[in-house]
Amino acid sequence: MVIKKSTEKRDPYFIDFPGRVARVQKAMTAGKIDVYLGSRLRTASWITGAFCPWRTYVVIPKKGLPTVFTFVIDAARVADDSWLDEDHILGYAPMGGMDQVSLVADFIREELGVKKGRIGVENGLSNYLPEGVLTHFEYQQFEAALAGADLVDAYDIIDKLSLIKDEGTINRFREASRIVDIGHKAVRAALVNGGYKGKTETEIGGVAAHAMRKAGSEWEWSFTGGNEIASGYRTGLAGGACTPASRRRIRKGEPLMVDIHAMFKLGQGDHSHNYLIGKATKRQKWHAKNFIDIVILTLKTYRAGISPAGLAEEMMTFAEERGFAEYMVPGFEHGIGMTGDEWRIGMNDGPFPFWTNPDHLYRENELLICAMQYACPDEEIGFRYENPILIRKDGCEPLSRYPLGVEEIA
Amino acid sequence: MKRYDYLSPEWAAEVKKQLQADLPAEKMKFITTSMSNIYTNCPDGKVRYLFFRCEKGVFTEVRVGDGEPPAADFRITGDHALFSLISQAKMKSQRALMTGKLKLRGNMVKALKLASLADRMNAVIAAVPTNFG
Repeated sequence: MVIKKSTEKRDPYFIDFPGRVARVQKAMTAGKIDVYLGSRLRTASWITGAFCPWRTYVVIPKKGLPTVFTFVIDAARVADDSWLDEDHILGYAPMGGMDQVSLVADFIREELGVKKGRIGVENGLSNYLPEGVLTHFEYQQFEAALAGADLVDAYDIIDKLSLIKDEGTINRFREASRIVDIGHKAVRAALVNGGYKGKTETEIGGVAAHAMRKAGSEWEWSFTGGNEIASGYRTGLAGGACTPASRRRIRKGEPLMVDIHAMFKLGQGDHSHNYLIGKATKRQKWHAKNFIDIVILTLKTYRAGISPAGLAEEMMTFAEERGFAEYMVPGFEHGIGMTGDEWRIGMNDGPFPFWTNPDHLYRENELLICAMQYACPDEEIGFRYENPILIRKDGCEPLSRYPLGVEEIA
Repeated sequence: MKRYDYLSPEWAAEVKKQLQADLPAEKMKFITTSMSNIYTNCPDGKVRYLFFRCEKGVFTEVRVGDGEPPAADFRITGDHALFSLISQAKMKSQRALMTGKLKLRGNMVKALKLASLADRMNAVIAAVPTNFG
């Protein structure tokens, strides 16, 4: 294989992309797949190492380099960012022979010479909009254009291989988390000593974004609105764990939730920190202590060998004993990987298709977002904890090091 | 003024001469590339090609023929009638591509870089006195 750009192994962010491709090809052989036709954002990220915001198709032959097809307006940039060269990152466009289906199908049939056989595709569904599974229309179009070949589900190849993170990927997440911590410091500095007065949620999101961009973040990556900032009643929306910033002003006597995101080489930082603005009431402090205690216990509990359902049961028992179970969203994590891999944990082997299997057993070097939401709508108060954690044999490593707490800000 | 039959070897030789005269290497941005235009539904029922080769900005080959065209960086396929409209500057090649009347094979990103050059080429070709039949 000819490699245009590859980081050196001494580079802490080194990822063996050709090795990834080789492992996919080995799995394709085992699964009798002649060509892998990936369409999910997570697949594009994991194979190309480049951010592919436009609909992208990753075509992996049984041997040799993948060829990636993305919208022509972004193909040169993706090629510039990827380890693959410009002959393997091609653009599609609304022109004769250049539309995405014709281009990809012609490539598979004529360049790869695959006119029959099994083409692995990425079907499915997701609660996360940018997932990128094939649409029904795309499936029909490829099925017609590749008549003679069978389209078969093959997403589990990428899902299985991307589950356990390599050192370079983990280090990218560590760096993204370090950047997020810089964002939190900037937010705190902007809030203290009355600085919060007059500021809006969107402005707080911008303060964090500015600091994180200065520190090298490429994007406030979350499709949930970038930096999610909530104040007052918005922190306590029932079951709520998604708060794109609004134009609401930060007010004394209210909670403030700062959930910010940074991206470093497709590694993702995601950490939430919480405040009580002004002098907190005794009741607000009670809620805050509940929240902090359950976060501490949760972080102590994560380790290889436990499952999401097992952990949730244990934590909800604790919350029940302490009298705040009704305020907890009974889920404590979501999946995470290189950009696009942002919801389901593990494989699609649970009771509900394409949702996390509650009995999934965590393994060493899995990454996930420890994600907890405490919400009391009646009292207009809530808190959120999110932090990428690395599963270890006997525990977990929280990647954001920002001090845990619900801070009272005067 | 002599007129040349469209897609005849004499026409191709005149096109090459005019391209070399009107589009010197600097106007062609010193590119090295090749393109096969494949004409379907020709009046005699054949499939023909018009092949261009440009080396460091100089047109080194303009060739017509039938059967399998030479290998090229870009292959553009369309009806003879449509190509003849383009060769008379009555239709822009880009419009023909955008409406799906022409089919392009090749690296689209590289093709975009050459789009303005293709327009210049077509303008020169349109100036060659031609019997379109």
